[in-house]
Amino acid sequence: MLGGGPRDARRTERYLDGLMEAEERGVADVPMDVDIDSAVVLAARQLRADLIRVHPSFRFEEGLAARLARTAGRMSAGLSAIEPAEQVVVRTAPAPIAPFRASGVAAWAEFAPAELAAAELAASDDGIATPAAGLRKLPAFATRTPRPLIVGGVGVASAAISIGAVYVAWRWSRAAHTPMVRAVRAARSGRGDASGHGRRAGVLHGILGVTS
Amino acid sequence: MSRTVFGTSEEAARPARLDRDRGLVEAARRDPACFDALYRKYLAQVYSYAFYELRDHHAAEDATERVFMQAMTGLPRFEERADSFVGAGSGGEVSADASTFRVWLFRIARNVVANERRRDRRRPVTPLEDAQGLAAADDVVEAVAAREAGGAAWQAVARLPEDRRRAVVLRFVDEMSTAEIAEVLGRSEGAVRVLLHRALRSVAADLRGRLS
Repeated sequence: MLGGGPRDARRTERYLDGLMEAEERGVADVPMDVDIDSAVVLAARQLRADLIRVHPSFRFEEGLAARLARTAGRMSAGLSAIEPAEQVVVRTAPAPIAPFRASGVAAWAEFAPAELAAAELAASDDGIATPAAGLRKLPAFATRTPRPLIVGGVGVASAAISIGAVYVAWRWSRAAHTPMVRAVRAARSGRGDASGHGRRAGVLHGILGVTS
Repeated sequence: MSRTVFGTSEEAARPARLDRDRGLVEAARRDPACFDALYRKYLAQVYSYAFYELRDHHAAEDATERVFMQAMTGLPRFEERADSFVGAGSGGEVSADASTFRVWLFRIARNVVANERRRDRRRPVTPLEDAQGLAAADDVVEAVAAREAGGAAWQAVARLPEDRRRAVVLRFVDEMSTAEIAEVLGRSEGAVRVLLHRALRSVAADLRGRLS
């Protein structure tokens, strides 16, 4: 059907050359081989009329001209042709926020839904998304540990307990200055052992009426 | 557009034909800021090629920008080849308006557009019909008729296989000679001639089918 022998193709080429040359000179007559396919002639004329050259917007033209000028300036200065901003393009995902005490696939999905979805699709041979399979496809992602998030009242209570523990530890670490404190500490340290010293210390503890 | 000169005796007397853009290219090599002249000269051609291939103004703009950026930064590597368009066919004709820079530029464009098409294969594109209405007409009826005819031609070209469509766009929109198209597409001149001939027959059959 679509036969295109070299001879026919050469006739077509001559016609196209003549068509464009006639147009350039503003002449209506186009030299034509007598054996040329009339359908080809009509199609060529139609395409010549309809396939026009398209010009981009003025804004785009000037914008690109300015970018080229900047690049030319850098090249002239012996710098890299790439714009500095383009040289340090580091794509970083926004820091993920893990749900408090969340675990399992749902927690991972909160980290990087796009990565997970892509991996799920990649992992499923039959086009059915499988989260578990998706996670297996993410070695770097799988080593990431979820960070607990301190939220609201839980956080305040946690902070208060921590401060209290630090204070107690600090108090116990301080040297005893008063005789009473030294006596109490001595009694407490001897309470646990079974020796006579321990018993004496227990008596002393009873006499003094000190409770720990 | 291209003119051809026939005859081997005339060819022998003629000095080696060089790139018609030689002056501009040399100036741009000395001072990258002079690339602007080449940019303005070929902007519409490159943009049209990208637009007809990608069928989307934004994608065509992106591709055009990449083409000119690559061309400017790669200009020191561009090698002019004198008489590269002394064709093997048609009696060894020489394309008087041949430009090796233009061929080099369109090779870059072909690669950029091919990459763009690969990248955006899954992205929906604007139908060719949406790009109609570029030529304004005062008469509404005439405008509608022209639009319909133009739409048919657009659709017929869009339905062509890739290599035929590229050849048609380079021939009708960018007004390249067969030799230049062959250089851009990396095919022989004979193959390009046959591509164009078959493309025209396909378009003719398509248009005839629409009319009937």
